[in-house]
Amino acid sequence: MFSTVPKPCIRSISNRVKGLTSLYNARSCTSHAGKRADNMKKNMTRYRFIYPEFLPDPKIDFRNPVREMLERNDMIARRHQIDIPEFYVGSILAVEASDPHTPGKVQRFVGICIQRKNCGLRANFILRNIIDHQGVEILYDLYDPCIQKIEVLRLEKRLDDELLYLRDALPEYCTFDPNMEPEILPEDGDVPVNPIKVKLKPRPWLERWERKNLKGLQDLGLNERFYERARAVATPWEKYDLMKEYMRTIPEEEQNEILGEVQSKLQKLDVTKKRQKRKRVFVKPTKLA
Amino acid sequence: MSINFSSVVSKCCLRSLEDKFVFLSISGNLGQIREKHKINPPPRLRNPTWFTKKLRAPSTELITHENKDFLKEVVQDRFHDKVPHEEITQIEWTPDLQRTGVIARKIGIYPLWFKDGKKITTTLLQVLDNHVIKYYAPEEFDPPRKRVGRIKNKKGCLLLGAEAQDPSTFTREYCGLFKDSGVIPKKTLGRFFISPNARLPIGTLISAMHFQVGNVVDVRGKTIDRGFQGVMKRHGFKGMPASHGVTKTHRRGGNIGGGGEKGRVWPGTKMPGHMGNRSRVAKGLKILRINTKHNVLWVSGQAIPGETNSIVYIYDTKLPLRKPEKPLPFPTFIEPTDNLPEDIYDESIHSFVEPSIMHNES
Amino acid sequence: MLNGKLVFNDALKCNSMIRKFHTTNHCMEIQKLTRLRVVDNSEIGKQAMAEGKPPKCIHIYNKTGVGMIGDKVLVAIKGEKKKGILVGLKQNQKPKVPKFDSNNVVLIDDNGTPLGTRIHVPIPTILRTILKEKTHTKGADYTKILGIASRFI
Repeated sequence: MFSTVPKPCIRSISNRVKGLTSLYNARSCTSHAGKRADNMKKNMTRYRFIYPEFLPDPKIDFRNPVREMLERNDMIARRHQIDIPEFYVGSILAVEASDPHTPGKVQRFVGICIQRKNCGLRANFILRNIIDHQGVEILYDLYDPCIQKIEVLRLEKRLDDELLYLRDALPEYCTFDPNMEPEILPEDGDVPVNPIKVKLKPRPWLERWERKNLKGLQDLGLNERFYERARAVATPWEKYDLMKEYMRTIPEEEQNEILGEVQSKLQKLDVTKKRQKRKRVFVKPTKLA
Repeated sequence: MSINFSSVVSKCCLRSLEDKFVFLSISGNLGQIREKHKINPPPRLRNPTWFTKKLRAPSTELITHENKDFLKEVVQDRFHDKVPHEEITQIEWTPDLQRTGVIARKIGIYPLWFKDGKKITTTLLQVLDNHVIKYYAPEEFDPPRKRVGRIKNKKGCLLLGAEAQDPSTFTREYCGLFKDSGVIPKKTLGRFFISPNARLPIGTLISAMHFQVGNVVDVRGKTIDRGFQGVMKRHGFKGMPASHGVTKTHRRGGNIGGGGEKGRVWPGTKMPGHMGNRSRVAKGLKILRINTKHNVLWVSGQAIPGETNSIVYIYDTKLPLRKPEKPLPFPTFIEPTDNLPEDIYDESIHSFVEPSIMHNES
Repeated sequence: MLNGKLVFNDALKCNSMIRKFHTTNHCMEIQKLTRLRVVDNSEIGKQAMAEGKPPKCIHIYNKTGVGMIGDKVLVAIKGEKKKGILVGLKQNQKPKVPKFDSNNVVLIDDNGTPLGTRIHVPIPTILRTILKEKTHTKGADYTKILGIASRFI
């Protein structure tokens, strides 16, 4: 589902492992320890999507354990400074960043996240909105120290991994009120998926969307020859290509190791944050006058 | 010092004796052959003494686990905690003094941010376990290529090794290089020319703190091997049009020379050939951050020759205008690294443990 | 029509004039003959946009010939030659610099005074620095267009 981030696990290879996992599950049902392990595993899969940028670039030429460790430490250090929340492509965010061109002020931009890219300290995301009938997009680095605050106004997912087609969509699909209030979701629930289907403007487009196998688009209303061509250039066998899948994923054991480390370090952070919040509640208001 | 000197003298004597013997034996055998200088011409380039066969053919001996452990113990006992015999005398550094460089590994690239909010891409270089293996005094070291003319302030040569490895994988000859130093045999060797004052005792460990944050270094590495490549990739030629009647010459170089008096291919003409895998130096890279625990240097820029995980050599810069202002630790940094902070940042760099950057009106 | 898409809103009214293919450069950069969108309320600009004949860039006053944000351009608009400043680009920008859905231009005269009195789209804050740098004491004062901007992002 998340093709932009390293795949959670080797999907097709995991078919091979499926037998093993089911066996493992059957056994885990019997014992408490197994249950806990199962729980942890479930947590890991969640972390994979919450913190996709912690998984390094799977390209073997660029990997080095020391570099990855240092990079992770830096990312966690930054996360101790500001709260980088869980968000997905399709969520609506508000980013406040200090700007050297308007000193002393903070620039706030509200928009829908249409793309998340790269991993490590290079992770970035694009926000899109329509302001004064003018489509505007801003790319932010996730770990840029100029960012003062990242706020999730509406936490949801969409049907696709990338929403770049919103650039060719009718303006109502990406117009959001800059003064929007954050919507609160019930805790411990799954992130809702917005099943909205987007209507595009007539051609010309920036890309040939009919070839991308997108689920979040309404009928494109194209001539049959476009679809024929799309079928001709499609590569449906690629999802069965084990070697390709293997090259663009990180082995599951390694993922668990990385995410386990991240989890332990960030959980401490969560705990301290909660404690701080609680502390703040009990602080007496000081008299100013 | 005196012991060292006597050993040098004895070595010199031995070598000259050896040479004579070799000469005698050769002259005995080849005395009768005419034109022998053509049969056995003097070598144009002699490899340095430490260029021996390194790796041993993997043995097929079947050793039990206990014996393997025993071998490991032997290695550990033999190379355990060797402290250099001599003390290092620290001298005030002056710009005309040359320190040793270090052997490092390029471990990746990632961005850092300046305090004004700008991003800079940095390359991470991990300084390996550099030990001094040998020192050649200026008189003693004879370089493979002789320079013509008188040489002022002649440099000595320091041989460093990095990356300790199981000695049983190396040849006997190669292990012999490390015999005097007491250092466990190393996978990588590097030689660095130094001022005689910068001599380090054999067995000294050099850490990343040899360099200082804010100073400028040159990094030498082997560029990525790209094999035999055409002119478009190798020299950035434009190639030829894709259409308009062009046949079979889309990525070719075209003309390589004129006619008439110049009717030949001139030396140095850019043509297809092997690209990469040659030594290149990236000069003038600033050190922005040092990790003392893992011995990692963050240097500015992303164009350091070589792939990730390849070996590079780091030197103090040769660029005349970027020489350090403050004195460097000379000959090297010898204080204990326990009390140092884990991360040392350049003053212009934003540390990730600091709060977010806010641009204020000046 | 070049950049048929970018003038989509304005050109909907005169659909017959849009041809169904576009010859926009792939990286969406501003070159000579690129169609631009006038975003101020100058009379000539408003008319040109309403007629569906957006101005064409006929010269870029820099060394590369590719228009970047804050560059001065010469445009052909309604049979006249006018100068303008690029205040929004379709091209990919650096982090934190906004990228727009159209190539926006504000018309100015030779002294840098804008022809209109208001810009009706947001303009990037980076223009404050860029235009300040481009203004010299004796030349044109480009910072005047910052005064008529309605919103910065």
